[in-house]
Amino acid sequence: MQETEGRRPVGRSGGRLARLGRILRRIVGAPDYAAYLEHCHAAGHEPRLMEQEYVREFFEHKGKAPRCC
Amino acid sequence: MPGKPRRSFPLVRRAGSILLWGAIAALGALGFATLALSRGESVNAAWLLIAAVCTYVVGYRFYSKFIAERVFALDDRRATPAERLSNGRDYVPTNKWVLYGHHFAAIAGPGPLVGPVLAAQFGFLPGTLWLVIGVVVGGAVQDLTILCCSLRRDGKSLGQMAKEEINATAGVTAMLAVLFIMIILLAVVALIVVNALKASPWGLFTIACTIPIAVLMGWWMRTWRPGKVGEASLAGAALLLLALLGGGYVAGHPALAAAFTHSGPALAAMIIGYGFVASVLPVWMLLTPRDYLSTFLKISTVLILAVAILLLLPPLKMPALTPFATRGEGPVLAGKLFPFAFITIACGAISGFHSLIASGTTPKMLAKERDARLIGYGGMLMESFVGVMAMIAACTLDPGVYFAMNTTPAALAQASHVLGTAGFVVTPDAMRQLAQAMGEQTLIARTGGAPSLAVGMAHIFAGVTSVLGGKTLTALWYHFAIMFEALFILTTIDAGTRVGRFMLQEILGHVWPRFGATSWYPSVIVASGAIVAGWGYFLYQGVVDPLGGINSLWPLFGIANQLLAAVALCVATTILIKMGKARFAWVTVTPLAWLVAVTMTAGWQLVFSPNATLGLLARAAAVDPADPSAAQRIFNYRLDVVVALLFMTVVVMLLAVSIREWWLVLSKRKPAVVHETPFVESAYAGN
Repeated sequence: MQETEGRRPVGRSGGRLARLGRILRRIVGAPDYAAYLEHCHAAGHEPRLMEQEYVREFFEHKGKAPRCC
Repeated sequence: MPGKPRRSFPLVRRAGSILLWGAIAALGALGFATLALSRGESVNAAWLLIAAVCTYVVGYRFYSKFIAERVFALDDRRATPAERLSNGRDYVPTNKWVLYGHHFAAIAGPGPLVGPVLAAQFGFLPGTLWLVIGVVVGGAVQDLTILCCSLRRDGKSLGQMAKEEINATAGVTAMLAVLFIMIILLAVVALIVVNALKASPWGLFTIACTIPIAVLMGWWMRTWRPGKVGEASLAGAALLLLALLGGGYVAGHPALAAAFTHSGPALAAMIIGYGFVASVLPVWMLLTPRDYLSTFLKISTVLILAVAILLLLPPLKMPALTPFATRGEGPVLAGKLFPFAFITIACGAISGFHSLIASGTTPKMLAKERDARLIGYGGMLMESFVGVMAMIAACTLDPGVYFAMNTTPAALAQASHVLGTAGFVVTPDAMRQLAQAMGEQTLIARTGGAPSLAVGMAHIFAGVTSVLGGKTLTALWYHFAIMFEALFILTTIDAGTRVGRFMLQEILGHVWPRFGATSWYPSVIVASGAIVAGWGYFLYQGVVDPLGGINSLWPLFGIANQLLAAVALCVATTILIKMGKARFAWVTVTPLAWLVAVTMTAGWQLVFSPNATLGLLARAAAVDPADPSAAQRIFNYRLDVVVALLFMTVVVMLLAVSIREWWLVLSKRKPAVVHETPFVESAYAGN
């Protein structure tokens, strides 16, 4: 079974690494373009943003959240 | 084994469960008894950990279950905002353990590390009891209830919920409360960094290096390899370690050491300038990369500290109670145990700031409603555990060293008799040797909590590396700890200044819409300048204060943070009453009543106490008119009076509008309209 990480297909061993990478990205609040593509696919529409645009928007949005004391 | 029917023994299982939970409760009680009954003899940190962990486990198993199931009736069949509004960016259904890590990284800041260190002046017992009991019945309850409320309202913010569920006045009050707390918070955490880096070329060099490292990471993640946060963070961490090693070289080089040795006011000016630049620059350039770097460092250091404490189980040198618990003239912070221990430790026991996270990113990522219990309640328990570790690190220090580090010469002179009687003394030679071991010029009067925490952590880490057979590397560990604390404090400063700037732009945008455009540079510069001027003034005032600044600013911060918690609990109580769950309102009213009692008592004493070490008005009256800075100092103390009274007024106002709303709803003079989103069946139901 293959998963897609961005636009690059990854195999079974790469899949595990990719999964770990996605977990870490989600924990630290990093952009996950693959998740965005999956969302677009599930929602049945074409991606609105290219990867670089997605990253820019993600960072802008992240910068509006407070950090706790 | 497929096909084989499983035999069930409900009575046996129930008896086993009762025995297991009874044993955990008894072990926790034994831990508390050992801590509370110790009088003079050395207590091992293991007892503190046992008492804390057993209480957390029992609180999570029973109390959080009660809140999740009985009070909010969380239901996995109901689709969460992450599922209904999924957009692949902020509304993303997320595995509960992954979200637990994300939520913890968002709520954990310098507060749970610094507060317990400062409160150690009362002894290890009061702070530990407040950390452990306060979190189970207060802090974790606040986080969970606000998370549940926001979860049922599409992830709305605390301010929006206050406006919709109470009234517009409450909404504005909540927004102002956030702005006030932001200003005081930024000032006080900046003061901690200034005190940690004062006359410390090693520390300053390492922290200064984080700025170009962050800029490099920003370029890497945005332009060179878009979105590759992991790669950029690994490179950043490697450069950070090089900077740490380079700091040792700088400290030993006469010319370089002089270039990186600065006074408090000079460092304050640098941090103020940094905050302004970080707020004005594009977010990807400095703020975001620094945020990732600090998140990785924060999570890994907390884990390493937990393992190191568990390996070493060091004895606590601080007594259970010091004379300052009842005398109220502590050299670290003035005021008696009640209410000041409960103000000093805000984060770790209950922190209003968490309500912003619990009604911010987290509710938009929950895949299932019942995951809220682990994330909201469990996440806060972990923060309390961090606070307990900080308490252990501080209490492993010799009390004489602790007080010499956390006290200004003026306050030390005032408290010298009590310190001498209690046996909390240290020779100048011992302090000199300690400073030498840590690679510092001096460790006397390094107030703010960060340096003493770093010394405690360095001893613990060095103890482990020594056990493992390596060199102790105490100085390197000390500066690693300072870098760890300063890095995420600076992240709080740049993110806080930016968020404050957005809030100011939004508020003034109602008057002049052009000003509300967050990318219009004149507005960006003016709003950033105003926010920086706000916290910068309080920072400068703290730096030049002869009592060290922490003495007056930290209680103000504690009051402000608890004020925000009171706002959150008022909102949660109102929602419970409107949901027809008034019989469960005690869940939120109990911590609310406690917070109001603590905040109002502390505020009153801070303003009106006739004791010149505590009361701000008394302090202003005691200023020597011959002092050339007398007028400025009197103005500063009076300004603090105004801020404290403002906080108290906000508490009273919000409480009044909330109680009015509760009375109107309960007496059926007003319909109980809740603004929950309608039930939608989850696609995950049954999975």
